[in-house]
Amino acid sequence: MARGKAKDGDGNWKKFIWNSEKKELLGRTGGSWFKILLFYVIFYGCLAGIFIGTIQVMLLTVSEFEPKYQDRVAPPGLTQVPQVQKTEIAFTASDPKSYEPYVKNLEKFLRDYSAEQQTENIVFQDCGDTPSEYKERGPYNDIQGQKKVCKFKREWLENCSGLNDPYFGYKDGKPCILVKLNRIIGFKPQAPVNESLPPEVMAKYNPNLIPVHCFAKREEDADKIGTVEYYGMGGYPGFGLQYYPYYGKLLQPRYLQPLVAVQFTNLTYDMEVRVECKAYGQNIVYSDKDRFQGRFDIKFDIKSS
Amino acid sequence: GKSRSEKLHLKQRQIFISEFPDARAAEILARDGPNALTPPKATPEIVKFLKQMIGGFSILLWIGAAFSWISFGIQLAQGVDSAFDNLYLGVVLALVVILTGIFAYYQEAKSTNIMASFSKMIPQQALVLRDAEKKELPADQLVVGDIVEIKGGDRIPADIRLIFTQGCKVDNSSLTGESEPQSRSCDFTHENPLETRNIAFYSTTCVEGTATGIVINTGDRTIIGRIASLASGVGNEKTPIAIEIEHFVYLVAGVAISIGVLFFIISVSMRYKILDSIIFLIGIIVANVPEGLLATVTVSLSLTAKRMAKKNCLVKNLEAVETLGSTSIICSDKTGTLTQNRMTVAHLWFDNQIYSADTSEDQTTQSFDQSSPSWAALSKIVTLCNRAEFRPGQENLPIMKRVVVGDASETALLKFSEVILGDVMNIRAQNKKVAEIPFNSTNKFQLSIHETDDPHDKRFLLVMKGAPERILERCSTIMINGKEEPLDSEKAEAFQTAYMELGGMGERVLGFCHLYLPENEFPETFQFDTDSMNFPTSNLCFVGLLSMIDPPRSTVPDAVSKCRSAGIKVIMVTGDHPITAKAIAKSVGIISATSETVEDIAKRLNIPVEQVNRREATAAVVNGMELKEMSAEQLDEILREHAEIVFARTSPQQKLIIVEGCQRQGAVVAVTGDGVNDSPALKKADIGIAMGIAGSDAAKNAADMVLLDDNFASIVTGVEEGRLIFDNLKKTIAYTLTKNIAELCPFLIYIIASIPMPIGTITILFIDLGTDIIPSVALAYEKAESDIMNRRPRNKRRDRLVNEQLAVYSYLQIGIMQSVGAFVTYFTVYAEQGFLPSTLLGVRVDWESNAINDFEDSYGQQWTKYQRTYLQWTGYTAFFVSITIQQVADLIIRKTRRNSIFRQGLFRNKVIWVGIFSQIGIALILTYVLVPPSFPCPPRGFQYWFVAVPFAILIWVYDEIRKLLIRRYPGSWWDKNMYY
Repeated sequence: MARGKAKDGDGNWKKFIWNSEKKELLGRTGGSWFKILLFYVIFYGCLAGIFIGTIQVMLLTVSEFEPKYQDRVAPPGLTQVPQVQKTEIAFTASDPKSYEPYVKNLEKFLRDYSAEQQTENIVFQDCGDTPSEYKERGPYNDIQGQKKVCKFKREWLENCSGLNDPYFGYKDGKPCILVKLNRIIGFKPQAPVNESLPPEVMAKYNPNLIPVHCFAKREEDADKIGTVEYYGMGGYPGFGLQYYPYYGKLLQPRYLQPLVAVQFTNLTYDMEVRVECKAYGQNIVYSDKDRFQGRFDIKFDIKSS
Repeated sequence: GKSRSEKLHLKQRQIFISEFPDARAAEILARDGPNALTPPKATPEIVKFLKQMIGGFSILLWIGAAFSWISFGIQLAQGVDSAFDNLYLGVVLALVVILTGIFAYYQEAKSTNIMASFSKMIPQQALVLRDAEKKELPADQLVVGDIVEIKGGDRIPADIRLIFTQGCKVDNSSLTGESEPQSRSCDFTHENPLETRNIAFYSTTCVEGTATGIVINTGDRTIIGRIASLASGVGNEKTPIAIEIEHFVYLVAGVAISIGVLFFIISVSMRYKILDSIIFLIGIIVANVPEGLLATVTVSLSLTAKRMAKKNCLVKNLEAVETLGSTSIICSDKTGTLTQNRMTVAHLWFDNQIYSADTSEDQTTQSFDQSSPSWAALSKIVTLCNRAEFRPGQENLPIMKRVVVGDASETALLKFSEVILGDVMNIRAQNKKVAEIPFNSTNKFQLSIHETDDPHDKRFLLVMKGAPERILERCSTIMINGKEEPLDSEKAEAFQTAYMELGGMGERVLGFCHLYLPENEFPETFQFDTDSMNFPTSNLCFVGLLSMIDPPRSTVPDAVSKCRSAGIKVIMVTGDHPITAKAIAKSVGIISATSETVEDIAKRLNIPVEQVNRREATAAVVNGMELKEMSAEQLDEILREHAEIVFARTSPQQKLIIVEGCQRQGAVVAVTGDGVNDSPALKKADIGIAMGIAGSDAAKNAADMVLLDDNFASIVTGVEEGRLIFDNLKKTIAYTLTKNIAELCPFLIYIIASIPMPIGTITILFIDLGTDIIPSVALAYEKAESDIMNRRPRNKRRDRLVNEQLAVYSYLQIGIMQSVGAFVTYFTVYAEQGFLPSTLLGVRVDWESNAINDFEDSYGQQWTKYQRTYLQWTGYTAFFVSITIQQVADLIIRKTRRNSIFRQGLFRNKVIWVGIFSQIGIALILTYVLVPPSFPCPPRGFQYWFVAVPFAILIWVYDEIRKLLIRRYPGSWWDKNMYY
């Protein structure tokens, strides 16, 4: 009996897909399919309308100039250029191919910082060569039009500016990286309190400076990291406060975030050297979970041949 | 004969006394095994457990877990940071399977245990002769060759050949279905062991007398043992609900696999890595499988089982709960199930008139006209000519509940007179009995002579009762209104009419007469001698007739009419006489007042039975003998053509044939039974119902359900519960399936539109196994929408638990609405954090890249990877919360399928509110309390709880409109496509 049933089932299955007697495809006639499809077109049409409508209403409640909440994005992250996979910069000084991506990445990044890009005086403002106070530019809306942006001179980056050395030191095994603090609208980093700083940073202390410092991540690497050169605005290894606060993409479309170039001139070759760079400030914090908050670490692996 | 067998008995006893010591018995016991039926082979526990581990959706989840571990292995080898997420996910999935498996196993074990308690009844004892001593031994210690003694009331401990009997009668009904006790002797009367008189069978009972016998078969080798093994040969059919759930599992698994594979192909062709595609596949499987549902179904069924147990239906197999609801034919026993299982006086005839007596279970008075002096005379005979007595010490019990020593008819008469006259024993004491002739089959009457309670009347009163025609033969006068009148042919004719009428109602009729013995012939000192009968036994005065029947239980007619309106055919199957069977069938409504059998029509039209158009007869009374000669086709025809059927004089073996016949009609058949040899029929039936009081262990073992009060009406309550749970399971499944789409859509859109992942796999499990569990069980408490006993039983093939409409409506309409609501919340969270919807499209690769820690949002702000992940988790929480909120609306709309919620009442089912509060409570706990560092559900402002509320309201309103249109336009396109 069971076998008979199974046979029956097979027949039904084929019949279900195409029933030639009733002209039914998958249990429905053409007309029936048309009706049901029409229903779903209307139904989903309405739903799509409702969806788009509610999204539009929601967007009305959101300002176009600043986000409603920033609790997930602040405090800011600290990142480097070139952007690398697995936080590792590995190359052979004698092989241009091996460092080409880094160089290109740096070159591309610095294009906006060239002097010829900062000529329009309507957009750019000279904020001086030394760190100074925050530059408040009024409320976060476009009533006064777009906001001005502080110039950042590429020359300040000296050896790492790519102006003199198009290979950013990689050719000589003295790689440059650029350090920048993530942009956050309205965020005003506060200069650090003296006591908390390592002595090297203390030496170049300025009350309007967010200093950056790179050092060996591991104790045993301390002697392998060699000399570290910092190039920043006016020779300061840090970010001047006059670049803050950031007013957002809409009001400062050509905002230049301040940079610090770090050059490792005497790295030990043929081994992994782990470096940590940190920005210091009262409202710059570090987290165990987010290894890019206020600091980052990067590995150098320079091969001699 | 007696003396010869006694000698034989003594001889044999001597042999055994000398030759059958304990040691020999022990040897045989070791060889043959204990004298007990081997219980039906139980599936080993481990197999049962493993079955739970791979049944249902478990396979899919195991596949998911396996994929998780594979991708963990690969990612670990590749050194991916997040590899361990997959390991954990696999572990969680495996845990889900194992925990739900353990749960299901536990549930099943629990319901099996209820039954196990039945079989653990007090061990039977047997009186055995061993080592020249009479010993009480547990019956399972008996061996072939043992000599056992039995007496009235004992259960026969093994198959025994009798070597000595004294007035021994056995009740073989559990074996042959014959309800009349059969006498047993030492004589070999027939070749067939079942027919011969000198064998008594295991598990039958000795009703009266004593006997001694030699054990000839023990344990499984007994006749009963062979039948029992036959019963276990009848395959267990899959229950309808098991088929439905299987169908549903296939459906959901089919959807899961096809969507999974489809999107695997899509993602591979969209240049996703194979590994990523596999991870998507896991997500899709997890989203599609309602992990908690099977557990929910089990809980709902066991809740109903509990409710049914309260109403005296003890369900052995959880799935039987629903089977009862889909029952379309009930084959019911008569005695004890439809009837009260006790003789009761139903009619009286005196003064040329028939009076009806109250036959209800709890009668305390009788309301027929008792003013006639004839009644006074009749009541005196009834009271005095009766040997039955109440057991002492029951004065506080209602009369109908008191235990009586005496046979069924005498018990009926005793209770009848006690109800009307009060203290019968006192009346008897005042009318002292001086002589008595008990009933015997040659005389067919019972007689006693009493002093009267009137101190001035010194006459003796002779009272007699017996077969009416025999009594009438002995009478020359008849009492009419208290006066003796000569019994002429006209009066005799009246008697005949009354006798036929009462007999035609299937009642057992007794005639009563009396005679005041003349004082001069029988002075006070007269010595009556019952052997020589020195007193008149003819020319008596006929007083009246009393008829008795085992009356239907008072709740049964109602229950039968409920069955009728519920489209359930009730077939009576009884071993009783056709006339009695038909009478009871008529009185309970199994045969309705207006319908006729072929024989009725023949009688009415005065034509031979053969000429009657069989189609005109709606009812049929089929005799067991006719059934024996019928072919399967003829039986089918009877079952098809007649709406009202009674099978009389059937043997329990024929019950199996009837059940099979009904099942050939495509019916879901419920069968009641109590005897051992009912077990094959009970097993064969879709739902076997054993009697809790009268039922044998074998019947209870074979049955799916035990009726604790043996009452047919309880079956009907069970049917109602079964139908309700079917409806409610539909609601539960619809509720559960809906959110699967809301869990699935995120994956699909994530793959296609490359947006950040809206919901995590673990978060899905929070819904499936956390917030949704209690609400879906709560739907099991929902009251019926309309009178479920007013519609036909569901058609096994057409009315599926999960039909196309249910799946489509849940998946493609409500599910999609939920997804839209959840996505609105998702986009709101991201927009308010800086990512406007337009920036989210196509960002997946960069978003998930560990190397990019300055990911730009719509405002130009830059995000580290961790900040993005944390935002993503916040999105999970918001999505989770939105689904939960909308599931509240889903829960409310699922309360009804057709009626407006407002008609059903929002607050009638309080458990739904428990469900809603638990749902929200669990969600609150998950999001606000349980926030350990790595928990992917970081809390976020409470406002996100409300984003989806408009969509929840939309779902409710839309469903109300759907129901309104269904009610307004029955049979319309809308009704056909939207009613599930």
